[in-house]
Amino acid sequence: MAPRAKEDGGRMDPPEAELCAHMKAYLDGEIEAFDALYVAFAGRLRGYLLSQCRDATLADDLVQETFMQIHRSRRTYQPGRPVTPWVYAIARHVYLMKRRSAGRRARFEESLAADARADDEVSRDALDVMVSGDEVRRALRGVPEDQRQALLMHHVEGWSFHEIASRLGIRVNAAKTRAFRGMKKMRDYLK
Amino acid sequence: MTPDVPSPLRDAVQRDLRPTRPLRPPFVRALVLIPLAVAIVISVPGLRFFRSDMAAIGFVKAWGFSFGQALAGLIIIAVALRESIPGRGLSRRAIAVTFIVGLAIPLVLLAATASAYDVGPEPGLGLQEGIGCFRVSAISAIPALLAAAFLAARAFPMRPALAGALYGLGCGLIADAGLRLFCDYTEPAHVLFGHGGAIVAAMVFGAVVSKFIPRP
Repeated sequence: MAPRAKEDGGRMDPPEAELCAHMKAYLDGEIEAFDALYVAFAGRLRGYLLSQCRDATLADDLVQETFMQIHRSRRTYQPGRPVTPWVYAIARHVYLMKRRSAGRRARFEESLAADARADDEVSRDALDVMVSGDEVRRALRGVPEDQRQALLMHHVEGWSFHEIASRLGIRVNAAKTRAFRGMKKMRDYLK
Repeated sequence: MTPDVPSPLRDAVQRDLRPTRPLRPPFVRALVLIPLAVAIVISVPGLRFFRSDMAAIGFVKAWGFSFGQALAGLIIIAVALRESIPGRGLSRRAIAVTFIVGLAIPLVLLAATASAYDVGPEPGLGLQEGIGCFRVSAISAIPALLAAAFLAARAFPMRPALAGALYGLGCGLIADAGLRLFCDYTEPAHVLFGHGGAIVAAMVFGAVVSKFIPRP
């Protein structure tokens, strides 16, 4: 929970009043006021964001993002009102958006990995059945060298496309394409 | 030791730094919608016809209650605009009270206006008349809803769907304030579906719209 500024019947404690003055100057276009706000909040925000994400590097990034967001939405600050809750609300929002996008990315990558695993299993099963046959060897011989290499590295030796790409000095997409095309050619041949 | 502002951040801020006028307080910004609210309340019956018992219920229960409801709608929009300001989000209790009070207002006004609850569409026309009222109310709410959505988005709402549902409720009340000058049915099924349903639809529409409006 973000800390709240002390308020007593509309009167703010002195540091908060000082922050309000900085905020007002910042709205007037003074970069020094932004510096002062950064000095006042960077450490506190880092601690708060670190407590949320438990990752020091990410917390540093989030502090920068928070200040950028503060800058973009500075007109939503209402002069005379405490600055601290406003800043922390933005920081919390930045953190939640980051977490949400990270979650989406993780889910996406997970689904890609699951698809790749499923493809792998299907290919291996098929290979187990076929590997002893001469037809497979003949089919493999019919696949161009670069495609055969990617196909075997991925489906037989179990290398990831990233590993294949770095080993062959090609792009990941190129490795995927070669393996896919090679597999397609084999399928066509074996039909 | 005090942290120095990282130079990329400082440069980015400085490049874009110019005097900026802060947004006005939410209740002041909600006043912008008064002409639109008045237009909606008058135009819903004005473009069609007024309820048949206008004279019987009297000026206060007709116009007075309707403008009272529209005012309540504006207040709820102001609450939504407040919710949209970082650091000024509403407590759960305040949110619950706002929704309950907002949804109760049309029912209370109906109870204060109606003498019986059996005035409804002719047999066989219930659904058609219900859809008619729903459509009139929902469509009338759209201009106010879009204007409120624009006002809220300028304030960088932290919980856009909640803010949207709140201003949707406010706009639904404004539209319903006009609808009650047009439709004199008091049958619960018609009122709940045709009138209440439109308010709920405005809330849902507000919550959805708010997600798609870019924020600063």
